Amino acid sequence: MVDVLTILVTGAMISSVYALIAIGFSLIYGVRGVINLSHGALIMIGAFGYLIINGVAPEWVAFIGAIAVAGLASLVLYLGLVRYTEHDVVITFLATVVVALIVQQLLTLQFSLAPRSLSPLVPGGIPVAGTRVRVYQIVAFVLSWVALGLLYLFVRRTKLGRSILATSMSEKGAKLNGVNVLYVNAATWLVAGAFAGFAGVFLGSLQSTSPTMWVNALGLAFIIVTIGGVGSIKGTIIAAYLIGFLETLTVSFVGAEWRGMFALLLLIGIIIARPQGLFGREFIE
Amino acid sequence: MSESVTAVEEESSENVLGRVFNAEANRYQMGFLAVAFLGLITVPMWNPGWTYVFAFANIWVIFAVSWDIISGHTNYISFGHSFLSGLAAYTTALLTFNVDPNMSIYITFPVSVAVAVVAGLAFALPSLRLSGPYFSLLTFVSVLIATKAVYIFSGYTNGEMGISTVSVLTFDNTEMFYLTLVPALLIAAILLYISRSNVGLVLKAIGQNERAVESAGLDTTRFKLWGFIYSAIPMGVGGALLAHFFGNVEPIAFLIVDRSIEMIAIAAVGGMGTILGPVGGAYLLIFLRDELFRAFLGPNARWVALWSVVLILLVTSPDGLFTRFWRLLDRLGGGGSE
Repeated sequence: MVDVLTILVTGAMISSVYALIAIGFSLIYGVRGVINLSHGALIMIGAFGYLIINGVAPEWVAFIGAIAVAGLASLVLYLGLVRYTEHDVVITFLATVVVALIVQQLLTLQFSLAPRSLSPLVPGGIPVAGTRVRVYQIVAFVLSWVALGLLYLFVRRTKLGRSILATSMSEKGAKLNGVNVLYVNAATWLVAGAFAGFAGVFLGSLQSTSPTMWVNALGLAFIIVTIGGVGSIKGTIIAAYLIGFLETLTVSFVGAEWRGMFALLLLIGIIIARPQGLFGREFIE
Repeated sequence: MSESVTAVEEESSENVLGRVFNAEANRYQMGFLAVAFLGLITVPMWNPGWTYVFAFANIWVIFAVSWDIISGHTNYISFGHSFLSGLAAYTTALLTFNVDPNMSIYITFPVSVAVAVVAGLAFALPSLRLSGPYFSLLTFVSVLIATKAVYIFSGYTNGEMGISTVSVLTFDNTEMFYLTLVPALLIAAILLYISRSNVGLVLKAIGQNERAVESAGLDTTRFKLWGFIYSAIPMGVGGALLAHFFGNVEPIAFLIVDRSIEMIAIAAVGGMGTILGPVGGAYLLIFLRDELFRAFLGPNARWVALWSVVLILLVTSPDGLFTRFWRLLDRLGGGGSE
């Protein structure tokens, strides 16, 4: 008999990490119309960044370091590559996925394909309503909501955030109002990369850290964003929880090897019935 | 305009290749094709050491041109073509592994191709509704599902290790080279013919502006469905052939999404929508990966080199190497048709 409370707790934890995985992808897609297929690689860079820095420094330093590394990698990716290709959708598509493969192969060279486990940000566990919950899962849950809240405030309240929103609505209009579009784009990629790094640390601790983890992470991000609706922060979060709970239920009742299968099938259903996702584009409309 | 059309038509009877690029191929272009063709069919004679790699590349030619006829033309970028070839390979493998180990290739081969065609039609259905990234996502997802399924049903598929009951066509490299070269060139020729026919033109027009094609009174649904069938049949042939090439069908070499991306990379590096470009791209990239980079960099680092080369080529010549080269030859011959 699987405990309802266990499912609720585990589901909420994993969902909050999924929201982090998808939010950066959603941001770039929504604001720039660019599908960043190296998003999974940025998440992976976060996880491995944490692993490497953790070798010489305490966990919290590694955590901040991983976010910084992934954010910078994302910025470099934009300034060094995507800036020049983004007018051509197909080439951007291919170039970003090839970048992901290069990262995968470089990490394979250094770390081999064997999965590794990350040392948790905060050790220990506490009992919650009869279930033992690891502390870092709670930390992940709380930090996820804090970060999403900060992102919301950033987009709505700060000048830079509002110019990101404005650029997503109309690049021409934003330019006419004195918005430096290149600067805005760079900022968007930096923020999206930082979120990817954040997500990578927790995804790497909750599941496994290996050079092929980007495929599933990218798949998850793509699925969540598509189900939630492109460019909608609210939709992304709701879809993340939908997928997170679906996976938890799958693992509890069907078996761990089916993880992800139903999410993929749900996606196919939604994509065919409602291609624009559950929530439309709030950035546009 | 009408003058040039009649000129092309008059030429066509004696110069079929001239229609390849909607313009008469000049003597440099003809010469290049002739030299490339002769060089290719004599690989076992001038460098026997390369025969195996080129035999393998022949199969990748099939994959790349099959991808090109639908995705390169219509711009519906499929990230899931390894699903089609993988399914065909697994059909062959599953039949020999679970049903009858001595089942004749004359039964397994057509069945495998038929399964690939059914899968291709399953791809086509969403493409009738979905555009751009959503179609790509769905095809990407289909590969993930198939890969997961292989592990879930490892009782039948033998999971990561794969099924090794498939008969290897031949252990003689030279024989294998010609056994793969003939279907590869045949498929490339047929798809080239389709690409240059009115059907190919409509597929390309769909890639440029689908609404405009509809407005012209053409049934885009029907053309896309046929496009997927033209793509799925050779994918099935290639997948089953690859199964008989290795004799062992497992997820890494046959199914995972990396393989789909390789097909795209080959087509894009050669020149999307040209058929001949992906043919050249397949030989170039497979040769670099399995011969040159392997010799100099070893089995692991070669991948980094390969993808770096692909990235640089994608950014510096998005139209493809072959397209560039073809235009260069065109200018050499004094043509200015592009």
